[in-house]
Formats: sequence, C-alpha cells, structure tokens
Amino acid sequence: MKFQSVVITRHRGLLLLLLGVFAWSLCSVNWSGPIIHTGGSSSFLKLWLSLFPPDLSPDFLWIASKATWTTFTFAVMGIVLAISLGLPMGVIASGILFERSSSNRVPIIIVFRGLLGGMRAVHELVWAVVLVVAIGLSPVAGIISLGIPYAGILGRIYAELLQGTPRAPIDALKQTGASPLKILFYGYIPYLLPDMLSYTFYRFECSIRASAILSFIGIQGLGYQIQLSLHDLLFDQVWTLLLFLIILIVLVDLWSTRVRRSLLA
Amino acid sequence: MSKFVSTVMHSSKTIRHISFAKGSLYLFVIFIIVSWCFIFLPGDSGFVDLFRLETWIHVKIFILKLAGVESELTPAFFQVDRWIATSKLAYRTLAMSVLAMAIAGTGAFLTMVLAARNVSNGDLGGVPSRFGMVMYYLVRANYIVSRAVPELVWAMIIVFFLSPGLLPGALALGLHNIGIVGRLTAEVIENLDPASSVSLRSAGASNSQILIYGIMPQAIPHFITYLLYRWEVVIRTTVVVGFVSAGGLGREFILRLNWFHYTDVTLILIWYLLMVIGVDLLSTWLRKVVDVD
Repeated sequence: MKFQSVVITRHRGLLLLLLGVFAWSLCSVNWSGPIIHTGGSSSFLKLWLSLFPPDLSPDFLWIASKATWTTFTFAVMGIVLAISLGLPMGVIASGILFERSSSNRVPIIIVFRGLLGGMRAVHELVWAVVLVVAIGLSPVAGIISLGIPYAGILGRIYAELLQGTPRAPIDALKQTGASPLKILFYGYIPYLLPDMLSYTFYRFECSIRASAILSFIGIQGLGYQIQLSLHDLLFDQVWTLLLFLIILIVLVDLWSTRVRRSLLA
Repeated sequence: MSKFVSTVMHSSKTIRHISFAKGSLYLFVIFIIVSWCFIFLPGDSGFVDLFRLETWIHVKIFILKLAGVESELTPAFFQVDRWIATSKLAYRTLAMSVLAMAIAGTGAFLTMVLAARNVSNGDLGGVPSRFGMVMYYLVRANYIVSRAVPELVWAMIIVFFLSPGLLPGALALGLHNIGIVGRLTAEVIENLDPASSVSLRSAGASNSQILIYGIMPQAIPHFITYLLYRWEVVIRTTVVVGFVSAGGLGREFILRLNWFHYTDVTLILIWYLLMVIGVDLLSTWLRKVVDVD
C-alpha cells in the first residue's frame, strides 16, 4: 500500500519486461572466458596515468588542430549534401505538391518515404565501407556516406513539418491561383524556416561526431589520428585528440543551442 | 494571431534574436565555402571521378556482385545454412544492443537526478547543499564527455582492456548513450512543475520520499521513452561497433567484404535491415504503451 506510485502500477508489466530483457542480455555475454585481456589492466592504468599531462607539444597540437579542422569541414560538406538531397525528397514525400485527388499522389509518397527510410536505416559508416568498395577511397566517398543517412533523417523531418502546417493560409494562397511550387516557396517555407533551420543545426552537431569516425575509412580527421596514436600506444596523444574532439563538439553544441533558442523564441 | 501579437510585443528582443540567427547563417555559408575549397582544391578529392564512365561501370559491377548475378555459385541469401549461421550473429548483435541500453539506462538512471539543477539548488523543495552542486557539475561534465566521444572511439579504447566479444561493444555503446539519455531526462526533471514536490515537502516528506513520489513518477515515463528511442539508433550503430569489438554481425560484414564474398555481404545487409525495421516497430509500439501524455 505504501508504494502506490502511479508509474509503478501503470507500467509494472513494462518495467518487468525491461528488467527481464536486461537479464537475458547479461546471460548472452560469455562470462566464463577471460573478461580482461592479459595485460589489459596494466594498459588501463597506463591510459589514466597518461592523462597527466596529455601531449601538448606544439608539433602534436598542430597535428590535432589539422585533424579537427578536417573533421569539421567534412561535417559541413556532409550536412550540405544532406540538405540538398533531403529537402527536395522531403517535399515530394510530404505530398504537398500534388492535388489531393491526383491518383499517383499516394504511390509517390510511399516510394519516397521508403527511399528516405532506407537511406537512414543504414549507418553512415556502413554506407562508407560499401561506397569505398563501389567508387573507391576518396574524400567524396566520405561526404556521400555522411550525406545519405543525414538526408534520410532531414527529409523525414521536413516532410513531417510540411504536413503539419496549418491549412488555412495555404488554402488562401491556393484560392489566388498560385502554383504548387509558389505555394511551397511563399506559403510553407517562410512559415517553417525557423523549425527547419533549428532542426538542421541540431543535426549538424551530430554530423561532427559522424565525421570524426568517418576517418576510419582513411579520411585523416580526429578518428584517424586517435587510431594511429592508439596503435602506437601513445595514450597521452589520445587524450589530446579526445580533448580537441570534446571542445569541438561543445562549441558546436553551444552554437546550435543558441541558434535554436533565437529561432524558436 | 497570437504569434503576431507576441512578435509585436517583443519586437526589439525578436530582432536581436533574428539577427543572431542570420549572422550564424552567414557564418555557416562562409564555412561551406572554406570547406569546399579545403576539400576540393587539392585535386585528389575524387569529385571528377563521379563524372567518369568507368566509375559507374564499376558501381554497376559491384551491385551485380552483391546480387550474385555474375557468379555460378548459389548466392548466400538462397542458402538455408547461411541464414542459420548468420541468425546466430544477428541474435548476438541484438543482445549487444539490449545490453548497451541496459548499461546506458542504469548509468543514466543512477545519475539523472543529480544532473537536474532544480534538484541540486533546492527549487523542488529539497535542501540545497554544496555536495549537491558539486555533484551537479561533476555529472554534467561526465555527460558531456560521454556524449562527445563517438561509440566507435569508445570501442577502440575499450578493446585495449577487454577481450573481444559482446561486452566491449555494449560498454562502448552504453557509455556514449549514458550522456545522451541522462541529459535528456535531467532536462525533463528541470522542467517539472515544482508544485507537487514543494507540497510534499510542506507535508513533511523526506528527501527520498520527494524523490519517489514527487519526481520519479513524472520522470520515469520520459526516461523509458528516451531509452526506447535511443535503442532505434543503437541497433544501427551496434553493427558498426562490431567492426572494432568483434561481436555480432559487424565483424562478419567487414571480413566478408575483405574476402570478396559479396553475396554474404548482401545477406548480412538483409539481416541488418530486418533488425532495424523490427526494432523501429517494437520501439514505436512500446513507446505507445508508455504513452507520455
């Protein structure tokens, strides 16, 4: 009687389910084998000791800054590609360009929704690995593999925003005889611009992280340098690079939060 | 109409806001131009290759190989024993994603209350303490670090200590998501209406009673929703973490690609898509069950 919290009673089944699933996942780990490497604990200690201090020599700071800049530029180009793919696809997938009575409206919406869904279902690094085999190892492969899943995400959000727009002003524009494209540019886009921009800025922050790990297919950003330093067991360099990554993410996070706050105020 | 009124009332403030957004947009355009020059001016970007015929012939051959058209062997996705063999890997991948969510959920659940400013400064009726404020900043700093480092980088560091398998991958995914789920839920707590907690306090409730009856009932549904939502993202990333930590489908994917077993790659991609769709549906359904207003 004492513990009659609303949540516990209402979601008792769900909580039990979650705990059960947790237990199942714990069982699937092979606990009988060695959990920690031979020498794993000593390198763990070494990793923490090398935080004091991280490698702050001018040479390495230069390498780290260059890697940070590379990561940033790829994130920028990736999000640009994502917008230029996602916006037209999102507009088509929202179905606002077609008459409600038009017979091919529903099939086109379904096809484009499926396309966007497929694009975002596959992780950017899986795209990257596949694209490297298909078109070769190049910066463009990295940008495309960043752009495809992000276009899928942005396109879906744009489509949802477009569909959620109030009908009245749009219908008024339609009464004046404006074409669907004109309605898009003079009715929908101005109304939705703050929401679209703020969401895109949020995704830009995510694309920085994605761009950092794209280095694993050879783009010489932060992830690439982290990999190199780890292989050479130079943990003090790993810390420096992690620090640069964290600072970059925090700066972009602050920027995007301020932009969103100012747009949605 | 109300939007118009508020615009007029706060016009000076709004103009400042808009000018910040506009400035950011200009700055972003500059970033785009500079990035374009940085990536494409050196000339080895591969951009020109996109307009060469042989690139597209290569792409076509690659797709045909994935479809298993060009080879005499039976494609892997038509062989029952290959399906059975990969189903075990898919099962392990699923287990890895669930374990990752369990780690993230436990970590976030234990820390999220400490990370809410209104709990530590006493706005929710608690007693503000120096300890609370220190914990607030400590937990928030940890969230930032755990969030900023991508799963894959966590995995690369963790495989230095833990033997390859499910655990390092799940730990890496979990570490990254502690920061995300923790921050989101802490923000929910920060936006709670303090009325219920304050009235509990004035009725003589202790700190733990405020936590159980005032904060948790409102925070937990959001917490579970965020956890389920992140699970959809994690299942996509589990495969990628497997590249490094040797658990589940990810490792197999990379190996098959390196061995040019293209139809096996297709089979793994089919499994991958099946799992992503399955988890999406399951998570959507469970989120409806939780039903946050």
